Amino acid sequence: MKKKLLDIKNLKVNIEDQEILKGIDLEINPGEIHVIMGPNGGGKSTLAYTLMGHPRYEVTEGQILFDGEEIKDLSPDKRAKKGVFLSFQYPEEIPGVTVEEFLRTSKTAVSGEQQKLIPFKKLLKSKMEELEMKDEYASRYLNLGFSGGEKKKNEILQMSILEPKLSILDETDSGLDVDAIRIVAEDVNRLQNGNRSVLVITHYNKLLDYLKPDFVHILLDGKIVKSGGLELAEEIDKYGYEGIKAKFSRN
Amino acid sequence: MKWNRIGLESLTFPEPKKYTKEYLSNLEITNINLDEINELSTTKLEDFMPKEAKGLGKDFTSYVEEYYNSGISLHVPRNMKVEKPIILDFLMDDENPMVIDRNILVLEPNSEITVVINYKTKTQGHCFHNGLTKVYAKENSLVNIIKIQNLNDKSHNFDSNLAIIEGEGNINWVSIELGGNITGSNFTTILNGDASQGNLSSIYLGDGDRKLDLGYSMIHKGRKSNSNIETKGVLMDDSKKVFRGNLIFKKGARTSKGVEGEYVILLDPAVKSDSIPGLFCEEDDVSGEHAASAGQIDKDKLFYLMSRGLSEREAKKLIIQAAFRPVVDKIPSEELRNSINTEIERRIINE
Repeated sequence: MKKKLLDIKNLKVNIEDQEILKGIDLEINPGEIHVIMGPNGGGKSTLAYTLMGHPRYEVTEGQILFDGEEIKDLSPDKRAKKGVFLSFQYPEEIPGVTVEEFLRTSKTAVSGEQQKLIPFKKLLKSKMEELEMKDEYASRYLNLGFSGGEKKKNEILQMSILEPKLSILDETDSGLDVDAIRIVAEDVNRLQNGNRSVLVITHYNKLLDYLKPDFVHILLDGKIVKSGGLELAEEIDKYGYEGIKAKFSRN
Repeated sequence: MKWNRIGLESLTFPEPKKYTKEYLSNLEITNINLDEINELSTTKLEDFMPKEAKGLGKDFTSYVEEYYNSGISLHVPRNMKVEKPIILDFLMDDENPMVIDRNILVLEPNSEITVVINYKTKTQGHCFHNGLTKVYAKENSLVNIIKIQNLNDKSHNFDSNLAIIEGEGNINWVSIELGGNITGSNFTTILNGDASQGNLSSIYLGDGDRKLDLGYSMIHKGRKSNSNIETKGVLMDDSKKVFRGNLIFKKGARTSKGVEGEYVILLDPAVKSDSIPGLFCEEDDVSGEHAASAGQIDKDKLFYLMSRGLSEREAKKLIIQAAFRPVVDKIPSEELRNSINTEIERRIINE
């Protein structure tokens, strides 16, 4: 039996006393790609932030086991060190810190090994080439003045450098053009080949043209209402969320 | 003497002592000879400073004029551009616990110079600094003055800086306030000539029970004169700070422009931060802008950085160093820039 990487049971989460997640169960094994789809307001981003440990999201019930260990009370930096990564839907701008400096600091913190200047420069350069990013981004201030698409690519660059065990991509495909989506998908596939897991959170299924997810889950009103394969995404494409909602409200 | 702004009940100046250590290490690399430097040593403030340039006040400036134990007087000849910065390093210890420096800089037209003055302590005992720096920058000259203060937590630090700038002349002040128990720091720039320009960039770090009184004034007299004050600070523990930034437009300063901004990050609830901007106009056709913000570090920014493996303190430190960076980068010495960054890091991480 494969050892589970992520094991979520009956997860309930409040934001300011309002229940957003109403009992989520989700298991992810090493090397698997999972996709969570659902309409806006269903709790997709809440799940992403909760897994990373944003202080505003309060876990009221349930468990989040990562590598067999409960992480729900850990601060975000400790989760990052264990191998959790979140690609933000709206990455923050940090003026005064360059992409290269930030990534070197981050890689040092996450890996626990001091990153030497020259080897790190090489690593960064090769990863940027893979993502078809221009060299100049390395010396620009983190996300400052980046377009929406550039910010998303920069998130994927960070993922690719930090090599997390679990990458959560929160609406990474929104704001990206078709070429960029293909490049991002290639990077995700590379991670999967390295037996790392990915949780893709998306509203559309643009990214799914290039990914082969093992599971697709539909998140509606704080609960996963259906899990299946890629055919679920096709169903959503066909009937829309309204159709799916109607189906479930009948039950 | 009573100092209400920072809640000081009484302040008495200590008995003046000598400062016998070398503080001018790199003079030989400049091409200014000592005769020229000494030429002005008898010049008094009143000889070229108008009455409104008071610095921290007469008690402070006349103490320096009477008892100064160090400092330089530089007379930069017409058209001379001194390329390498002149660096003064004051390192107070138990034998030399007082620096009373008086510095006079006169720039003839079209000349340039950069002066860095670094005040530090090498003892845990009480040290005292009271300084007075006077600058007279004539037409089309350029002067950069960088002051870095990192005295120990028991020391008193007072500094008055006065400048008068003639037509198309430029002054760039940089002030880095990291240490001392009490700091009173004043920078007054008189933009006397047409199209003269004054810039002041400063950062401060308040921790422990440090008290800072920062007073910056730009006095516009010439037409089309320009000024810019940008201050960034961090307050934590029980530190206190008063910031007064004055933009003063005198009659005749038509089409002049002044901008000031003060941005402070508050890390602890017990800190006290007062910002008192002042705008005084005797002329209609001028523009004065003022911006200020005081607040905690944005929680979403912290979360973003922490999600990349940085601890809360590391994340705060990164944001603070990033905010200070544009000012620190103005210091023309990598060694000094590094030592300032290391010091900030040490203070924030060992909070």
